[in-house]
Amino acid sequence: MTATVAPEKRWRPRAPRFALALPSMVWYTAFFIVPIALVVVYSFGTKDTSKLVPVDFSNPSTRSYSEVFDETFFVVFRSTVRIAITATLLCLLIGLPVAYFAAFKVSEKWRAIVLAAVVVPSFTSFLIRTVAWRIPLAPNGNLSKWMQDLGVVGENGIQVLETAAAVQLAIVYNYLGFMILPLYVAFDRIDVRLREASKDLGAGRASTFFSVTLPLAGPGIAAGVLLTFIPMCGDYVTATVLGGAKGNMIGAMIASQFSGAQNWPLGAAMAVLMIGAVLLTLVVGAAIVWLFPRLLGLFEPLIQQWRRSRASSAAQSAAATAASGAEPSRRWSIADGVLQRSLGVWTILVLVFLFIPVGLVFLHSFNRGNSFTIFANAVSTKWWGELFDGAMFFTTVLRFAVFIGAAVIAKRLLTRRALFGRAAYTVWIAPGAFALALVINGLLTSWYATIFDFAGVGDAIRNSFIAAFGATVIAVALGGTSGVALARRPGAWSNAFMVVVFLILVTPEIMDAIALATWFPRIQDVAVIGHIFTEGWGPFNGGINKLWVGQSLYASAVVTLIVRARLAGLDESLEQAAADLGAPPGRAFRQITLPLIASAMIAGGLLSFALCLDNAVISTLISEAGSTTFPVALLGATRSTIKPFWGVGAISLFVVTMASLWFLVVILRRGGASAGNIAATLTGN
Amino acid sequence: MAKQLRMLAPEAFREHLSRRAFITGGTAAAGFAVVLAACGGSEEESNGDSGSEAASGDYSRVINTSSGSLAMYTWGDYNDPEIVGALAESELGVTMKVDYYPSNEDLITKLAASNGNSGFDIVVPTGPYVPQMIEKGLIQKLDMSKLPNFGNLDPAYVSQAWDPNNEYSVCKNWGSTGYFYNKTKITRKMETWQDFIDACMNEGSGNCAMIDTAPNLCGMWYWANGHNWNDQDPAKLDACEKFLVDEFAQHIKAFDSYPSTKLAEGAYSLAMGWNGDLRQAYVRIADAGGNPDEWVWVLGAPATELWMDNYCIAAGAPNPDAAHAWINWELVPEISIKDLQYHGYNTGMKNMDTLVAELAPDLELGDMIFFSDEQVATFQTQEITPSLDRMVDIFNKVKAKAGA
Repeated sequence: MTATVAPEKRWRPRAPRFALALPSMVWYTAFFIVPIALVVVYSFGTKDTSKLVPVDFSNPSTRSYSEVFDETFFVVFRSTVRIAITATLLCLLIGLPVAYFAAFKVSEKWRAIVLAAVVVPSFTSFLIRTVAWRIPLAPNGNLSKWMQDLGVVGENGIQVLETAAAVQLAIVYNYLGFMILPLYVAFDRIDVRLREASKDLGAGRASTFFSVTLPLAGPGIAAGVLLTFIPMCGDYVTATVLGGAKGNMIGAMIASQFSGAQNWPLGAAMAVLMIGAVLLTLVVGAAIVWLFPRLLGLFEPLIQQWRRSRASSAAQSAAATAASGAEPSRRWSIADGVLQRSLGVWTILVLVFLFIPVGLVFLHSFNRGNSFTIFANAVSTKWWGELFDGAMFFTTVLRFAVFIGAAVIAKRLLTRRALFGRAAYTVWIAPGAFALALVINGLLTSWYATIFDFAGVGDAIRNSFIAAFGATVIAVALGGTSGVALARRPGAWSNAFMVVVFLILVTPEIMDAIALATWFPRIQDVAVIGHIFTEGWGPFNGGINKLWVGQSLYASAVVTLIVRARLAGLDESLEQAAADLGAPPGRAFRQITLPLIASAMIAGGLLSFALCLDNAVISTLISEAGSTTFPVALLGATRSTIKPFWGVGAISLFVVTMASLWFLVVILRRGGASAGNIAATLTGN
Repeated sequence: MAKQLRMLAPEAFREHLSRRAFITGGTAAAGFAVVLAACGGSEEESNGDSGSEAASGDYSRVINTSSGSLAMYTWGDYNDPEIVGALAESELGVTMKVDYYPSNEDLITKLAASNGNSGFDIVVPTGPYVPQMIEKGLIQKLDMSKLPNFGNLDPAYVSQAWDPNNEYSVCKNWGSTGYFYNKTKITRKMETWQDFIDACMNEGSGNCAMIDTAPNLCGMWYWANGHNWNDQDPAKLDACEKFLVDEFAQHIKAFDSYPSTKLAEGAYSLAMGWNGDLRQAYVRIADAGGNPDEWVWVLGAPATELWMDNYCIAAGAPNPDAAHAWINWELVPEISIKDLQYHGYNTGMKNMDTLVAELAPDLELGDMIFFSDEQVATFQTQEITPSLDRMVDIFNKVKAKAGA
């Protein structure tokens, strides 16, 4: 690089270039490539329920594949792809104005608030928010009754639940945030000068948007589409909770082949074809995106001519209005205000939409009745245990106050500045003390026990944390090392490695889930590893260890990208300087590289933590007794009656997740990042 | 007789529910005292010791305490939360962890996938699935010396065909299958499975829910047509498949083994279900501000099933001692009846009539728990036959077709 003066390095890397990525390679081979390959192998077997692994290989055939193409199954395929494409387009249409508004039309402060409002709902359990949609949509619910009174719907009430429409709505809802953030990042990175130049050269608002802004935002749109479309195709939870028979999706059907129907070959064939369908749709989509402007280019002369004639007539009319003494640009300034206001209203509507289920979860945790979705028209705090019993509430609040106060004083004493500055609360003291108080409250009081003792909600929350924490540690270790290797030691291997990382990101979760669920029993006789997954090690049982593996795959791929992106933005001169000054590679790594990537690793880690905490699909298929996480237990409960204490559990989880997210924002802020950079980090851009 | 039952149904719905004469048999329906609903309420506590001298004198009440944690893998909402929670801790010294599965097949897959290391102690398979679980080595033999209360069971519910010597399984409870409909939407009189199928295909089309298991769905067709559901005749299976896939599937709104909550949400106007869950639907409908009087329970006819779920101990159970203690404790009459009041299924205790009269005199909707001899005579127990695989395939296709 530029700063290198020394003709040759003092040290030569003795290890191969990919050495740092070696742990990730082993990990991905053992828990991604081989298990997925095994699923492909299963798809050629035949069903044999008399065996423990109910697949017979004595007679390999492609029967399962032809069965998938059988009309009955194929309709579910078609409807899944239809739902996913529709939902992706809807997310794009709904999210684009919001991202545009946040990027160009509001001040820095409001921008952060809008983005936070987009992100915050996603940190309430995905599952409980999906379940919460049952509340407003219930044919006997209050909304339905009001609409009946208004005559909007017939006497049967809103007939949306247990249909594809309910799934469509909830899927758009669940993934909207994943579309808005990358779009925002893309808009935010556009050089404002380009848009100004476009306007200065006489382009109108619309043509600036379509010929400058939108093409520049292309990568963001692509990222948003990938982040929404792929998980939608494999979505298993939404269809199970809201879809009934009509809203069945392929993810749920694959899962039922593996568990209920015990037809692994058919399920495997479906999974393989699903990945095929996902990739095919992406290729077709990309082809359309590639072709469209080129086709448009064929008509370019015509368009130019039309524009010119329009411009000249506009000039004529402007000249006419100028001659008559009216203000020439008035029309545009009104349009500007209207546009800004309608974008603002739209953004508010979208944010309200995002917060509806969160509000309902909160409301229904105070439900007097015994079913979460059915509000028995009386409020009760009984599901909150003793939290709201005078003394308990008082001591809890007091403890929080004491911790925050102690933290403020400690910080001030350390830095020897004025005792109570406003900034102290907003930076890290308040959230830190809050999180600490929450943890210590849990350790010191019996409050958790009073709420969560029954039905294992407390265990589930604890398991969720243990599983998510372990998976995050693994993800950060693997992602950090391979990210460094990719950025600093690229070579022939890095392309192959990136293909695997990309595959991990695009493989629908349900596929990983079945791959791992069928893989673990196979390796249980392998010496040490098998022991870890059956007996566990130390205080962690085998089920928790399996969850670490399952949840770490996607998370580590995300961390890899974040770390790589971070290092790609910094040239290698510092490390080279260290080497020139005689630092051995290990020391250079510790003292130079690690501090450089620390913020990226922390950001990636917290993002992984949030993702793992909410993981339902993989966890459901591989969890065991003693490792049931919150989403797994809740998914189990959705099969019968969901009690309101699940709402209480979800809110408690939400508070803790928010506290950790707050840390992320604060850490990035301290690194001088803007709201845009934070959002970029969160979406892995 | 001074037994005080817990009145868990809150005032608001108790008032609502009392308008309905629940039991035709003339039981005084003063208030809705069924302990159907809540868990963790703070109303009066029942006390298991007092007032149970007379008829219940000949029951064994040994409670073997144990320690540690006990993991149970069971069907949804299948035990009184107080029993698995606070009571298990105070009386047994055991902390329970409960997870749920939706079908026997799911249970077997989960256990098979971990091959004896699932970490579960107690599992609750339906009778006919017990032999294949024994064969695959998924459950272990019981130590009868640790189950001194086993004799409390009615002899009718021990020594079943799937486990003649109760070496592996002990009856948890048994029940049957029927359906539930809203008589303001389905105005005709409904008595048989044929009526149900017909209503689903006509006025209830797109508004009906089926139990989410293969044998129940196929069984419905067999019973409606006067066949035994264990009939292995391939021609009948073909006819069943043809009808369910080509004609019936399109009318199904959902596959839902626990329709009670969704019935209350108003999602279905008729639903197939197990007696205990449909019994709970009355409470949920009142909770949601609906009118329980509009809903009718019908036991399947001319024939329907008798299923029995059984406590078994999983192979490789981490805490078999506590597992035995739990099973034995569940056989104590007071605990058994308390559970019965919660889930609404017959727990198979001997002299059930006197026991209920004594321990749960205010039990509501008893006709949905206890069946007459004539009704029981129409019940068929499922056998595991080679045709089960075929039924699962049919069910699979029906599900796919219903989504079209």
